Amino acid sequence: MTAMTKIDDRFDVRSWLREALFPHFLCPGCGHGIALRALVWAFHDAGIARDRLAIVSGIGCSGRIGAYIDTNTFHVTHGRPLAYATGLKLARPDLEVVVITGDGDCLAIGGNHLIHACRRNIDLTCVMLNNEIYGMTGGQVSPTTAEDRWTTTTPAGNIEPAFDACRLAEAAGAGLVGREMTLHLPALRDLLVEGLMHPGFSFIEVISDCTEIYGRKNDLGLPAEMMLCQTGSLRPDVYTSTVDQPFRPNRLRTGVLARSDRPGYLARISRVSDR
Amino acid sequence: MLVNRADSRPINVLVVGVGGQGVIMVSKVLAQLCLEQGYEVKQSEVHGMAKRGGSVFSHIRFGARVWSPTIPEGEADVLLAMEWAEGLRWLPSLEPERGIFIADTRRIVPPFAFRNRRRGADPAYITTRPDEVLDRVAGGYAIDATREAEALGNGRAANTVLLGALSTALGFPAEDWLAVISRFVPSKTIETNRQAFHRGRTVIEAGDLPDLSAPPAAPAAAAPVATATPATDRVTWRIEPSWCKGCNVCVTICPERCLALDQRKVAVLAAPDACTGCRLCEYLCPDLAITVSDGALSVAIEGAASPQPAAADPGSRR
Ligand SMILES: Cc1ncc(C[n+]2csc(CCOP(=O)(O)OP(=O)(O)O)c2C)c(N)n1
Ligand code: SF4
Ligand code: SF4
Ligand code: SF4
Ligand SMILES: [Mg+2]
Repeated sequence: MTAMTKIDDRFDVRSWLREALFPHFLCPGCGHGIALRALVWAFHDAGIARDRLAIVSGIGCSGRIGAYIDTNTFHVTHGRPLAYATGLKLARPDLEVVVITGDGDCLAIGGNHLIHACRRNIDLTCVMLNNEIYGMTGGQVSPTTAEDRWTTTTPAGNIEPAFDACRLAEAAGAGLVGREMTLHLPALRDLLVEGLMHPGFSFIEVISDCTEIYGRKNDLGLPAEMMLCQTGSLRPDVYTSTVDQPFRPNRLRTGVLARSDRPGYLARISRVSDR
Repeated sequence: MLVNRADSRPINVLVVGVGGQGVIMVSKVLAQLCLEQGYEVKQSEVHGMAKRGGSVFSHIRFGARVWSPTIPEGEADVLLAMEWAEGLRWLPSLEPERGIFIADTRRIVPPFAFRNRRRGADPAYITTRPDEVLDRVAGGYAIDATREAEALGNGRAANTVLLGALSTALGFPAEDWLAVISRFVPSKTIETNRQAFHRGRTVIEAGDLPDLSAPPAAPAAAAPVATATPATDRVTWRIEPSWCKGCNVCVTICPERCLALDQRKVAVLAAPDACTGCRLCEYLCPDLAITVSDGALSVAIEGAASPQPAAADPGSRR
């Protein structure tokens, strides 16, 4: 496991990118770009060879970042990356299968896939980029949109309470559950490494920012200001129910939030596969 | 040089240093020794900031009768400074006519002295050299105790070297000092500490002192808070202009305020001298457009030909 402060000078992000596709399509300041760096850095730190890695991503600005990583990538239908990834993992258990998904992709249309992947504790790493909105389709309300926020489908302000995806995943049985923000890139990288190393289902929520729609329409400041507010003041109260680690003046609960050593799906399937 | 004991007032020893050096250990050894020599002893200390490399000092007073536990200003018979700047800070407490100043020339630079965070920049640490001070005191000795202890194979015995130096000012028998010291140090290190103690005495008695006009010794790597001499001062900051979208994140987030957007709304390093190479801009650029390297990483950036054939955009499915 990497130390929290590890700085690896040998990591060269560009060696992991499909550089011909750059500049990427994300809007100026979009937090998903930082998540992209954290992910490939975690692959590097976890020592995963790129031909042993498969990324399955759903539809959304979040899912699109998978296409920029120079490895095996599958860009599948909206809401279903966990279903595809489950099939892939069963067929090719030797691959490290990572799902990149968004809050809409994972919790709205894909919500059922999520709870059942957690219940099965299937050996995948699911990285959900939470920007509290459907970014790609122009800004509709999502299951994590904070109350009172403007979206195209809540022009008078959102009246629905937001999901705490980590508590949902934990309750549904995920083996490892964690949350980190793009602002704390090294901590995010290290949390992703923990997720990759954990057998069973790892669910990592990444606090990201949709700067162009959510930020602009809700007057949440310039991209850097939005990012600096990730430490808490912008986020719904559901995230703040427990005190965070000391010395991190942060209202969000971050880091590894739940961990269990319940056997993963592959360990259990091997018990019956010979019968 | 022995402390002048002509009058009946207590003898005052002030031990100063920073957290982690062993100021308290040194003063406990002295206090215990004085008790065993039949004196009344009072010792008091301030070590609240010790954990953060802050100032630590300890007053030891011994004599036939000692009333107050603190040494009045200007009445310290011996000032034992385990860190150079702390020694200078406490000089006014020394008895001006007879006071003996024994100082370790080792510098332990506190974090707040790094006003300029650029690698290799000089910290705001006092530049006064030992030779500029020793003439102004009645008896003055400056020793590089850490180097002496390292020569004996254990740099951590530096405080025992200083105890050896202190012993020359107080006149108790060397064997009595060593008996107390051996009760305060781990049993495996008793022999090293015995050598360190004698080394401290020899340095003073033989006048075997370092060249005092040299700047104070560079900090040791093992010191609790120390300057790291940078392997290289070369920081390369590079941008891929065609990837930058002018989001201003790097400009806002740079702790040194050294970035700016040019007329094309592309980030530029406007104040290269201020850049510390902290890499925050590289980490948080959402477009992966910035690379900060110190020579270990060599990637061709600006204007480099794309290593892959142009491919179609991954395509958006809405
Ligand atoms: C079956 C289906 N329904 C709806 C859509 C339209 N659609 C595309 S992306 C998206 C939401 C994306 O939101 P999220 O997962 O939060 O990703 P973000 O863009 O915010 O990163 C929707 C509803 C679709 N592509 N397919
Ligand atoms: S719409 Fe929002 S989430 Fe999508 S790229 Fe733009 S800023 Fe990012
Ligand atoms: S953070 Fe990156 S994209 Fe944004 S202005 Fe700086 S270099 Fe350009
Ligand atoms: S590395 Fe970047 S953020 Fe750090 S001082 Fe230099 S320009 Fe500023
Ligand atoms: Mg979203």
